[in-house]
Amino acid sequence: MLIPRRVKHRKQHHPKRSGAAKGGTKVTFGEFGIQALEPAYVTNRQIESARIAINRHIRRGGKVWINIFPDRPLTKKPAETRMGSGKGSPEYWVANVKPGRVVFEMSFPNEQIAREALRRAIHKLPMKCRIVTREGGDF
Amino acid sequence: MSEVKLAAEQRTEFGKGAARRTRRAGKIPAVLYGHGSDPQHLALPALEFARVVREHGQNAVLTLDFGSGAELALTKTVTTHPLKNYIEHVDLLLVKRGEKVTVEVPVVITGEAAPGTLLTQDLTTLQVEADALNIPDQVELSIAGVTAGTQINAAEVPLPSGTTLVTDPAALVLAVNAAPTAEQMEAEIDAEGAGVVEEAPETSQD
Repeated sequence: MLIPRRVKHRKQHHPKRSGAAKGGTKVTFGEFGIQALEPAYVTNRQIESARIAINRHIRRGGKVWINIFPDRPLTKKPAETRMGSGKGSPEYWVANVKPGRVVFEMSFPNEQIAREALRRAIHKLPMKCRIVTREGGDF
Repeated sequence: MSEVKLAAEQRTEFGKGAARRTRRAGKIPAVLYGHGSDPQHLALPALEFARVVREHGQNAVLTLDFGSGAELALTKTVTTHPLKNYIEHVDLLLVKRGEKVTVEVPVVITGEAAPGTLLTQDLTTLQVEADALNIPDQVELSIAGVTAGTQINAAEVPLPSGTTLVTDPAALVLAVNAAPTAEQMEAEIDAEGAGVVEEAPETSQD
């Protein structure tokens, strides 16, 4: 699972969720991609689950790129704990995804199979997404 | 590359609010510059410009008709909205007849590589220098029958006459590798998905 090797601060503030993606809004490596339509914190488990969903469907002959990295820690207090006594311990690692960001990319010779693989991956992600292609839509 | 006529008008008001008013009026804010001249702020008809990009590509040479005169221009950058898929702004570069310009030309792959191979395209466009009025629409690269382990560099891509390569000739355009087998992919999934132990990242000692 994706996790930073080394961090400067173990516990951080929550990342900002407002605004749209500044970059990474086009498909650049593969032919098809998943584009986020809503802001979301995507955990490393969700990224891994989506990746496995794609790989299980395409079986062979394709390539997958993950364009996001879960570099922000989120903390959680243990259950049934009284308030106070400081911040909880790091529980999740999340990628702060903004609308417009292409989170996954893949190349595969058969478009129908590629779209089905990405559709399955979208079900593993916590935000609304759509499938985009390198050529993009017409203006 | 064909030459396309487009009516353009000068913009008199600038900034975020003015740009939004221009877009609401069915126009695209644009800027025209080059050859050391002062930048000119223009408004282009949105639907017509979108049709030009769709039919002739981003390297279409535009004849901008201002009413009082005309200028030749090349599209340098088209800024689109990341979600709503409309053109927000256009940068246009002033060109002259007979001038050589550096443009990005798409690489189109034709043919099928040998079965059991996986194609990885590293470069989808090549920077080339060409006459402003003779820019190639695309560069075709045939991979018919190419076997696994083949790498094609920018220098090996056939270019039309009158066009010279600007991209680093040693840059990798595409690589054809053996596709991983189903067993290999399944083994990779099992190894990565099962029983991964997370270790807390170290905190640097400042």
